[in-house]
Amino acid sequence: MIELDRATKVFPGTAAPAVDALTLDVPAGEIVVLVGPSGCGKTTTLKMINRIVEPTGGTIRVDGVDVRRQEPHVLRRNIGYVIQQVGLFPHRTIARNIATVPRLLGWDADRTTARVDELMVTMGLDPDMGARYPSELSGGQRQRVGVARALAADPPVLLMDEPFGAVDPIVRGRLQGELLDLQARLRKTIVFVTHDIDEALRLGDRIAILNVGGRLEQYATPEEILREPATPFVEEFLGGERGLRRLALRTVGDLGDLGIGNCVQADATVEEAKRRAAESGERWIGILDGDRLRGWAWVSDLDGSRHAGDVDTTLFRVALSVDATLREAIDGLVRSRVGVAVVLGEDQRYEGMVTLDRLAQAIVS
Amino acid sequence: MTGLLAQASGGIRWSWITANLDDIWEATVEHLWLTGIAMVVGFAIAMVLSVAAIRYRRLYGPITATAGVIFTIPSFALFFVLAPFTGLTVLTAEIGLVLYTLLVLVRNTVAGLDGVPEDVKEAARGMGYTRNRLFLEIELPLAIPVIIAGLRIATVTTVGLVTITALITFGGLGRFIIDGLQQNLFVPKLVVGALGPTLLALALDGLLLLLQRAITPWSRRAAAL
Ligand SMILES: Nc1ncnc2c1ncn2[C@@H]1O[C@H](COP(=O)(O)OP(=O)(O)OP(=O)(O)O)[C@@H](O)[C@H]1O
Ligand SMILES: [Mg+2]
Repeated sequence: MIELDRATKVFPGTAAPAVDALTLDVPAGEIVVLVGPSGCGKTTTLKMINRIVEPTGGTIRVDGVDVRRQEPHVLRRNIGYVIQQVGLFPHRTIARNIATVPRLLGWDADRTTARVDELMVTMGLDPDMGARYPSELSGGQRQRVGVARALAADPPVLLMDEPFGAVDPIVRGRLQGELLDLQARLRKTIVFVTHDIDEALRLGDRIAILNVGGRLEQYATPEEILREPATPFVEEFLGGERGLRRLALRTVGDLGDLGIGNCVQADATVEEAKRRAAESGERWIGILDGDRLRGWAWVSDLDGSRHAGDVDTTLFRVALSVDATLREAIDGLVRSRVGVAVVLGEDQRYEGMVTLDRLAQAIVS
Repeated sequence: MTGLLAQASGGIRWSWITANLDDIWEATVEHLWLTGIAMVVGFAIAMVLSVAAIRYRRLYGPITATAGVIFTIPSFALFFVLAPFTGLTVLTAEIGLVLYTLLVLVRNTVAGLDGVPEDVKEAARGMGYTRNRLFLEIELPLAIPVIIAGLRIATVTTVGLVTITALITFGGLGRFIIDGLQQNLFVPKLVVGALGPTLLALALDGLLLLLQRAITPWSRRAAAL
């Protein structure tokens, strides 16, 4: 979908190329993340695609067509562009900002308005916000408007240069999640620039790790990169805890059916509960009401009752969603008093428990 | 001097003002016209020069340097340098007035356009704005607060200078000063000639501020935050 063929940029007055003969294919419908140290040429590479920076060598094709064969402004209206500083128009309301490209393309007013409303909902922006000016929004809200604006004319290609760079880690994490949700529906071809390797690993279908001068050190899926860093540079760039980071690529849902775990229904007899705990090798037992998890109790407290549900229970401290990563699951295990992490699905439905054994199996396989 | 003493002993004839309201009004309107013409022409020329200076950076230095030199010539001197060519006419006055506005207007317009954040321009280019639309729809509107700040300074200055051009044209409120001086310091005329332009300048300054608030709602709300 986007093909860089020995793309090169030498800025006037500089000796060394900022990007030197970079060859890279970005498949349609995927997120490719360009990551690398500051000054390695990520932004330059991105801007060559929409000709904000004119390449001095090589060719770049979008959808098979050489970008230099198109008028820059025509090319750009078909490519969504989000820059790090967001660059919202301060003199235009949020709604007008989002409507930028549709208006440039000459959409009629009704269609534009409908599209703006739709995008504000998609990006989780309060409809009242449409009439405000950018200075009246928080940083995170502005970033969302920036993404909405880039999506407005539904371009097949999206270029994003550190779009979540200016917000705090919590908002950043949320925006990353939203981007992934959005991408699951929209299937855009996205080139995403960041210098944060964790962001790259989370978002990228593929990651291009660049060295100074736009030298491509490795271009592969996150899993491959973590498993087999191609060069010492990549290894160093990934930093420590590569194993743990790989766990961050898989979710609890990937573990498959977790079974009922060390639990019994509330109407089970005390004997049954004790047997179950013994089988699990635990001194506690979880108690269920149908598909709800009530809590847990010490086996020793069961004596003298008839049913497992007759005793007081303690709530589980840690619950994970099915989307949680295995890395988060380990964190949950460590924090839990009873050494398991409870998994809850939609509407808090009990899905099972992640145990250390179970994780160990998954890691080894 | 004797006249002043006579007035002091006999009291100042303030009634002259109420008796001559028509004349004063006429002079005020004339003063406004002289100011307005200078501002409109000066603004138009300044815009052209500013755009040229922005597009061709090399021109900015020479343009502002020339305007700066003109600005430092005492107004009296400038008008009388022009007089041999254009006579003691309104045209002479206007040429001088226009030249005086240029420095402030060009400087502010260029500063305003330069002040448009780079990220905003890049985002606009990246979304497919052509150069002309970028200028008209993004750069110019965002430069308005600084441009109008320049207009306010230039307007206040021009209203004051129009008072001086009465020496050439005998028009505007300045003529009351000339009259007053010639009539043994006739105080009511001097007061009208001095206070009138001051009030006029304040009023125009206020109007321009209101205009700016009206057409740049975003900057006001931003400032209020
Ligand atoms: N307009 C320019 N003129 C000259 N050199 C430039 C220009 N823009 C970028 N460079 C140089 O090109 C190199 C790559 O810059 P680029 O902005 O692509 O880096 P980057 O990977 O995006 O870095 P960062 O993570 O800091 O944003 C740098 O050495 C930079 O100094
Ligand atoms: Mg960059």
